[in-house]
Amino acid sequence: MSDIDSHILYDSVNNVLIEGEFKGSIVSKCNDISDSLIFSDNIKISDTEGISISQGLRVGFEEVANRRNAFSRKIDYDNNTQDISIEYSILLPEEVMQLYDEGQFSDTFPYTLNLLHTAGLYLRDPENKINHLDFFKGEILKNPISLIMNGILVADRVVIDHRGDPVFYDCLIVGRDQDGNLKVSYEPLTNVDDKVVEYIIILGNEELRI
Amino acid sequence: MLIYENFKAKLLNILKFGINPFKKFVSTGELKEDLGLMKSRKDLLSTIMEIIEDNENCILPIIGDVGTGKTHLYWALKNRMYYHNTIYLSLDEVYKRFFYTIYSEFIEVIGLDPLKNNVNQLVNDWGALERKFGFFHVAGPEKIKVNALQLIEDKFDDNEKVALHDVITGITTHQLDPYKKIEAERWLLGEIMDIKELAHLNMMHDLTKNRNAYVMLKLLIENSKLGTIIFIDDFENIIKSYTSTEDKEEVFDPSWLYGKEESPDEILSLKVLRRVLKLQKINGLRLLITLKSEASLDEVKKIISKVDENIIPYIKSPLFLSEFLESDIYEFYIKNMENFLENGNFTKIPDELLEDYFPLTQEILENIYIMAKGNPREILKILIKIFNEIIFSNRSLSEIQEKYKKLN
Repeated sequence: MSDIDSHILYDSVNNVLIEGEFKGSIVSKCNDISDSLIFSDNIKISDTEGISISQGLRVGFEEVANRRNAFSRKIDYDNNTQDISIEYSILLPEEVMQLYDEGQFSDTFPYTLNLLHTAGLYLRDPENKINHLDFFKGEILKNPISLIMNGILVADRVVIDHRGDPVFYDCLIVGRDQDGNLKVSYEPLTNVDDKVVEYIIILGNEELRI
Repeated sequence: MLIYENFKAKLLNILKFGINPFKKFVSTGELKEDLGLMKSRKDLLSTIMEIIEDNENCILPIIGDVGTGKTHLYWALKNRMYYHNTIYLSLDEVYKRFFYTIYSEFIEVIGLDPLKNNVNQLVNDWGALERKFGFFHVAGPEKIKVNALQLIEDKFDDNEKVALHDVITGITTHQLDPYKKIEAERWLLGEIMDIKELAHLNMMHDLTKNRNAYVMLKLLIENSKLGTIIFIDDFENIIKSYTSTEDKEEVFDPSWLYGKEESPDEILSLKVLRRVLKLQKINGLRLLITLKSEASLDEVKKIISKVDENIIPYIKSPLFLSEFLESDIYEFYIKNMENFLENGNFTKIPDELLEDYFPLTQEILENIYIMAKGNPREILKILIKIFNEIIFSNRSLSEIQEKYKKLN
């Protein structure tokens, strides 16, 4: 299923700004150095007051002691007080989220690895490259978040295949088409060559439960 | 090119293989009946279906004499109401582990995949798909159990709380704990489990425990997308023992143990009756009970009102299953012969031959109808006898035909 009419709430590239308070499954891409993402169940957009998100989860890479570390932490975002700007915010349609929900708890993948703490599985950055794909070859990891070229991929699980490439299952994909328009799609399975992957972060269970 | 074929001889040859087209005169809940109802009974079936569809909970009595086809009606109903889970229950088999037996039948009727879907839906309703930060499912089994208890414990009696804990644990473990899923599935399927296995699942009892089976049944039936019908055959059996005045040889005086007021049979009957009536409290469950006479229904109502008066309004006016009309025997004969030839994969016999009732005649069928007084079972018995004679005796067909033409 692809090219679903998504609810684009804000798009700085195409000058889209829909005012109001929205609830649901909202993903926002930040314009920061690590292209971090904010996942939230709410967003408030106002032409005058800007964008605010309460109790979201920001996921990305940060530099700690000259090393790039993956992080996920709660955030109360307000673009008036924080210096992170948002490139776009999309409310995912409920029918897509239902497909995503149906793909969960699959009997086919009972033995999935849940990491306790958020960790970087792959980072393409040549200066701070992270590549644990070989280490997890053949394993199934729960809750991967990936940035693939310009698209965001949120999946229920990822398997590293025999070539060391990630295969995502139960995927939500948000990205721009060739005209620069934002699109949303759901795919039960997505094969990705690791050469086009910017990063893969595995969300830690403990950090999701906070 | 074959220009002529003696189909009469061919049909007789098929019969001479030794297979009687009329095999059994007693219908059971276990062996599927393919033959549909005769035309005269279709209105009755429509009325039953109407009542079932209009009433979420009801007890519908169907009254019919011995051999009128009450059990056969179950199969017709099951085939027509395929969008309902229809379960057959014989009271003779359920004196022990009443709810467990019904649960086993229920699981057999719905099958494994719908059972999995049903429990999956339950867990989702209890909050398993709650999305943290709009996306991520983080609810663990323990949280879901707490949610489930809060959501549904009001629907159950205090003495069912332990069973409810087991049932919620079984369902959430099956859906959310991959490491115990196999054991939980065995539990869901009603397998007998030892104490070690139950302890591993953090449960007290398996589903052979009546309360557990009842709670599970209630949850599944009330959350099933399909309605559920339980067809209880020969319901008067429940009062037979209750009102039995037959002299019995007793090796000891039961009043020593049970008191003078009630006999052990009465106690057992009441226990089963209470359980049947408890089923009535499950939303979406319709009970169809068959009885032999109106007098039996009155007796049943009397006893039910003693146990629980509130049930009486749920008992619908009885429907009556009458004997065959004369036209039914001709329709029945043709349908049965067609069914026999089709199922046996025999060469096609022209319809005209069967419409002439070959190897019998209209006169013989009329005679059979009169002899059997229209009772389907008696009609079947006579048909079996005649066909056995055709198949196995050395007498010619015309001799047999003559013999049965004269009988009246």
